Amino acid sequence: MHLFIQACILGLLAGGVYALMASGLTLAFGVMRVINVAQGAMIVLGAFLSYTLFTKLHIDPFVSVLLLTPLMFLVGVVLQLVFIRPLRADEREELSLLVTWALALGIEGLLSVLYKTNYRSTITSYADSSWRVAGYHLSEVRVFAFGMSVVILALLYVLLSRTEFGRTVRATVQNPVSARLLGVNVDKVSALGFGISVATATAAGAVFGMVTPFFPGSHYDLISRLLSIIVLGGLGSLGGAIIAALFMGMAEAVFAAEISPTWSSFTFFIVLIAILLVRPQGLFGTNERGAL
Amino acid sequence: MRRLGVLISLGVLLSVSVTLAACGGSSSSSGTSTTSASGKPLTIGISLSLSGDFSDPGHAAQKGYQLWAKTVNAHGGINGRQVKLKIVDDASSPNQVVTNYQNLITRDKVDLVFGPFSTLLTGPAASVAHRYGYAFVEPAGGGPAVFQEHLNNVFFVQPAPTLNCGDPFVAYIKSLPAAQRPKTAAYPSLDDPFSSPIADRMQKAFEAMGIKTVYKTIYPSETADLTPVVEKYVAKKPDMVVAGTQSEDAYSQVKAMVQSGFSPKYLFLANGANSPTEFPSKVGKKNTEGIFSCGDWFPTSKSNGNPQFVAAYKQAYGGTPFDIDSTSAEAYAVGQLIQAVAKKTGKVDNKTIISSLHSGTWPSVEGNISWNADGSPQGSDMLLEWVGGKLQPVYPPNVALTKPTSPKPPWGG
Repeated sequence: MHLFIQACILGLLAGGVYALMASGLTLAFGVMRVINVAQGAMIVLGAFLSYTLFTKLHIDPFVSVLLLTPLMFLVGVVLQLVFIRPLRADEREELSLLVTWALALGIEGLLSVLYKTNYRSTITSYADSSWRVAGYHLSEVRVFAFGMSVVILALLYVLLSRTEFGRTVRATVQNPVSARLLGVNVDKVSALGFGISVATATAAGAVFGMVTPFFPGSHYDLISRLLSIIVLGGLGSLGGAIIAALFMGMAEAVFAAEISPTWSSFTFFIVLIAILLVRPQGLFGTNERGAL
Repeated sequence: MRRLGVLISLGVLLSVSVTLAACGGSSSSSGTSTTSASGKPLTIGISLSLSGDFSDPGHAAQKGYQLWAKTVNAHGGINGRQVKLKIVDDASSPNQVVTNYQNLITRDKVDLVFGPFSTLLTGPAASVAHRYGYAFVEPAGGGPAVFQEHLNNVFFVQPAPTLNCGDPFVAYIKSLPAAQRPKTAAYPSLDDPFSSPIADRMQKAFEAMGIKTVYKTIYPSETADLTPVVEKYVAKKPDMVVAGTQSEDAYSQVKAMVQSGFSPKYLFLANGANSPTEFPSKVGKKNTEGIFSCGDWFPTSKSNGNPQFVAAYKQAYGGTPFDIDSTSAEAYAVGQLIQAVAKKTGKVDNKTIISSLHSGTWPSVEGNISWNADGSPQGSDMLLEWVGGKLQPVYPPNVALTKPTSPKPPWGG
């Protein structure tokens, strides 16, 4: 029982970070119908940028998030304008796969040239520290990473549900044509939405680099996990992505500890397939274009 | 929506199936070469992974080969012939490596060929060389797939086959008084042909010594977080942890153990901990003490020509001896053997190289090496341990630079 609870704690902490990673992916899909398979590469890029700031300028990764997210938000806006906007609306879903895949390979290639293909880790002074609570140990880095994910996701929720911009985003998600007729600048919303998506990926990358060793090719595994999360949660559903990410984190940790790590990922996919058989739209998705 | 599902599936499939760079084999001639008065240069063809998954060790091998060519040419070449290296890129692809050696032998008509990087590429490349009667002296193809082809032209230039890397640690534990030996052991290993078989071999040997296995698992390479695995064996409190690791999984296990506060009496990591510069940077220098690993080469080794190799490397590429990738030493040793055969026989043709290397023991920076009929080396790797913040050879005694430290001190101490 002790091991089970410890595994649940670990899974919850890991799931929180995955939720942050997946939030941008599901947002991009919800707003633009873009399947951004470069999201994993963006996360790895964020990890490398944070690593560089830490190793060269001794800036703590959590502080670097404050510096990097505005910068990468702008990069995201530019990427949307250059790569996504020119795609024809009726073919955007198909073409976005190829375009963002090319983007992912480009980022990977660039990182391979700059950093080589060795694994890196962002090791802070508190990397090895952990708290003991009622016999369970809580890694400081993981708790901080989880906390930061919660804060950013909460800000994202407030942005989408309590602001004028959030209303335009939700309107665009639900019905882009109607939104356009009502005066919403859908192109602008799409660019800003993609910028937010890249910014959240960067923030997630900073903490990802503290928890897991990474290298330029780490995005392959990441994107397969993230796509699975947003499918399970329901495409375009932010809440669904969060629930699915927490579920995946806990399922993997519990199975790895209690049964075998070989079956941990497999278990998640079995659950994913089973749920999709019953609910093809995912846990919180709708058959229509839905609200975030 | 159904179409979206198909698209997402396509995305997932793409993301897990597309391999990295698959560009063709570009070529470059390298190595300083001038034709000596005694005759035409000795042309050696080599396919290396200068791009793709193995590009880092591929470039390290290139440095070793080029350093050897430069050194030997500075001393008059081989039997009066200057060495000229023709190095081509295989992009880490088993298909491209076959094409490259085929071209080097039949089109470019090189005098000799040297091996590529990795077992994956050495296996098919050795078969091509064998077909044309070329010796295949190679630095980095030490897996069973290479030796089970039973090719008489293959010579793996390391002291022992890759899967025997844990043997010195087994021998060291066996050398301890019974009271000091561990009673229980855990074996967490990566699902990789060069990781879990090492731990399996060690497990059999330890069980034969009466050391009880309390935990064993093989985790897939895509396991993002090894903390649950570590938690599982921490709960069993084994005296000894023997992990068949590569690199990042070794770092992850150490970090998870540190965070859990569990420090086994003996900790052996097959790979990852044998990197003098990478390992402390990943797990923290203070957490390295007492961790064992294995290695085929060490910068301060007094093996044949090693001090000269290290000095030449530093002069050519800078850095400290501990920055030298062992792959560079392995490649350098390949050239040393050809030199040795030429010096002993006065000849440098493939037939002579094959027959000569199959008899006797040959000294190199990798130590004294001899091979069985399949090209598998008959020696032993060395046991390395982190002692006083430095990675040192500690066993067997004839190569040790210091005595082993055991049991392992607590983390941070």
